[in-house]
Amino acid sequence: MAPSAHTRAGRPGAPESDIRLTLPARPENIAVVRHMLGALGQAIELPPAIVDDVRLAVTEACTNVVRHAYPDRSGTLDVVVRPEEERLEVVVADSGKGMGPSPDRRGPGLGLPLIAALADSFDIDESVSSGSRLVMSFARTRRGRVMRAL
Amino acid sequence: MNRVEDPTRVSIVAGPLVGPVLRRVVGMLAARADLPLDRLDDAVLVADLVAARAPAHVAQSTVDVALQSGDRSIDLCVGPLRRGGGRALIVDAAVPGVGNVIEQLADELDIESEGNHEFLHVRLSYNGAD
Repeated sequence: MAPSAHTRAGRPGAPESDIRLTLPARPENIAVVRHMLGALGQAIELPPAIVDDVRLAVTEACTNVVRHAYPDRSGTLDVVVRPEEERLEVVVADSGKGMGPSPDRRGPGLGLPLIAALADSFDIDESVSSGSRLVMSFARTRRGRVMRAL
Repeated sequence: MNRVEDPTRVSIVAGPLVGPVLRRVVGMLAARADLPLDRLDDAVLVADLVAARAPAHVAQSTVDVALQSGDRSIDLCVGPLRRGGGRALIVDAAVPGVGNVIEQLADELDIESEGNHEFLHVRLSYNGAD
């Protein structure tokens, strides 16, 4: 757990907390992440439409890890969720090949554009020594989404 | 499922999200282990008890659980806990008139010491016929 998690947990006005899920990077475990996000969404009373967006974006990010991060070995999928007062931050990380075009890509390649459309902001952290770290942020109300559309 | 793979690890800052998140993850992995509904309910109940009682005994500020689903079984490893925390967590899970719920539901229960910390291992399985 990142050090910031501990400080954030004790901060007044931030009753919720960080969650870290580390799983073998296998297709069936993406469903575990989706279910966890559903439970979290209910617990912090996220609007259902936002939960749907979060789940879809995170599914895309996890699918990238499962498909591309570990072509020759097994590895882990790391998901960190940080509920904050006005937004929800989700980090999806691996310690494998990192992000990049796949030589065996046969699909339409919609993953990152879809994540960009669903998240209020996202960033690919390239400072990690290996693997990839995709940081997504979602507003906890729709107000931000409407304002952005205008 | 006979394949042995790395466990799923959940780490949640002790607080209101431990219960909802842990019970969902445990329920999902218990279902994947093909546990019958009664034992799946048992696994979720153990998860709820761990979520409710473990925060008082954790070594740091997070509740950490490693989970492994196998052939009609699920293993939970709770910790690191403070020294004595493993037994204390079990004792705290007692319900008046019912007794100790974790002890009654687990097929295997073990406390492992490691330095100043402890880890509580709980195994739930199903050996009956379908």
